[in-house]
Amino acid sequence: MSAPVHVALEMDQSWRYAAPAAMARFCAGLKERRIEALRCGGCGRRYLPPRPVCGNCHLPLADWVPVADEGRLEAWTVVHVPILDPRTGRMREAPYGMGLVRLDGADTTLNHFLAQSDPARLAIGQRVRAVWREQLAGAIDDIRHFEVLA
Amino acid sequence: MSAGALRRPVYVSGIGESRPVPRDPRAIPEMVLEAVQAAYADARCAHTDIDAVVTASVDLLDGLTASNIAVTEVVDAVMKPETRISSEGLAAALHAAAQIASGAYDAVLVVAHAKTSMADYQGLTRWALDPIHVQPLGADFLACAGLQAAMLADGDPGAERRWAKVAAERRRAGNGTFLIPSSVEEILLSPVIAAPLREGMCAPLGDAACAVVLTAGSAAVRLTGVGWDLDSHALGERDLRRWDGLRRAFARACAVAGMDPRGMPIDLVEPSCFYPHEEEMFRAATAIGERAELSPDGGLFAGTAPVVAGLSRFAAAARGVRAGRAKRALAHGAWGPAGQGQAVAILQAGA
Repeated sequence: MSAPVHVALEMDQSWRYAAPAAMARFCAGLKERRIEALRCGGCGRRYLPPRPVCGNCHLPLADWVPVADEGRLEAWTVVHVPILDPRTGRMREAPYGMGLVRLDGADTTLNHFLAQSDPARLAIGQRVRAVWREQLAGAIDDIRHFEVLA
Repeated sequence: MSAGALRRPVYVSGIGESRPVPRDPRAIPEMVLEAVQAAYADARCAHTDIDAVVTASVDLLDGLTASNIAVTEVVDAVMKPETRISSEGLAAALHAAAQIASGAYDAVLVVAHAKTSMADYQGLTRWALDPIHVQPLGADFLACAGLQAAMLADGDPGAERRWAKVAAERRRAGNGTFLIPSSVEEILLSPVIAAPLREGMCAPLGDAACAVVLTAGSAAVRLTGVGWDLDSHALGERDLRRWDGLRRAFARACAVAGMDPRGMPIDLVEPSCFYPHEEEMFRAATAIGERAELSPDGGLFAGTAPVVAGLSRFAAAARGVRAGRAKRALAHGAWGPAGQGQAVAILQAGA
């Protein structure tokens, strides 16, 4: 078997994403520590993050409803593999907790980091609360992570 | 080569588009939703009538692995069998037709989208070429087209002016959304971008989405012939002066339609030609004569987007048949470097 051929290539490429109108409003809300979901007029499901269309009913969504920054931990994991944080360009140290959080007022879950990385202290069903950054930019990481409530 | 007739009739029941524009400020799901809703309205159907979905999108263009995940809801694929084709919208339509012809589904939605304004499109196509012996050269699809055109122009001193005339004619027939040089002289004075191709000889690329509803139930337009083909990826393994893949795809489509390719009475032809030299190769591969109306609305020179191009030609051909402008029409899609992939659909009027 021959050795792999190594060809050193360096390519830079960036994309200019247009945020859907719903996501733009969601992000604007974050800048004011406000979280909103979109409710389907057909089945009533409240989508967070907001989606342009209900996947169940295929109806466009336009009914905004308020959501709390507290909720229930629906799933959790602790990751032990360091990752390159695309927002900072620096390695994110491991281990770190990651969870699916269903905020009060929403029917879907939000994927986010958890303050807690000790598996012994994490459990599905725990109450969690958003920990906001001091400086808000209108992005999902305006929430630093979710912390488990006592 | 063997190809039999479709086992069940397939009809074009609905067409919807988010028309090509140089830069659509909306997000991809918003563009796609416009096309899907228009197709549903045209087909007078609801999302509950759709059994399955076939989408066409390319991860590199969207900057997203599995680019269909961003449009799952808007293409109505939640809790439905979705197939994603990462090549061309017309290929997606032909796969949807196969699903109907097999009896698996009665109604299939086909959706294609691309947004070239998001990034450097030609730069991205570098990633679609061989990583060891092409990528290090910096070659992209435009360079491949230039190589192909150069081979065709070799020993043909009239080629450049002839191509400029073709481009000018197509641009005049287009809708003018894209501000581009349109006279023969303007095109011949436009910058050379991949010799011998000049800027004015390139179909303008932008952002677009297209959706089509195919059904087993009768409608005004019937899909009778389907054929597609993939040639060698490596340019050096093909005779770039010919689209042999198209010749084979066309022959297959004719066989499925039960027609003699040399005597095909086609009234309307909608080819996916991004450059005038491709139109000449298209004519040579299909032996389509001057009698058929070709790209009456300017074809891709009215503005287009990769991936969407072939499905938009399918929509244009179906509209022509539905409007009574043609009894039989041909739609063509091409993808990959220098037309590596080729697809052909033959449409005709009535049940």
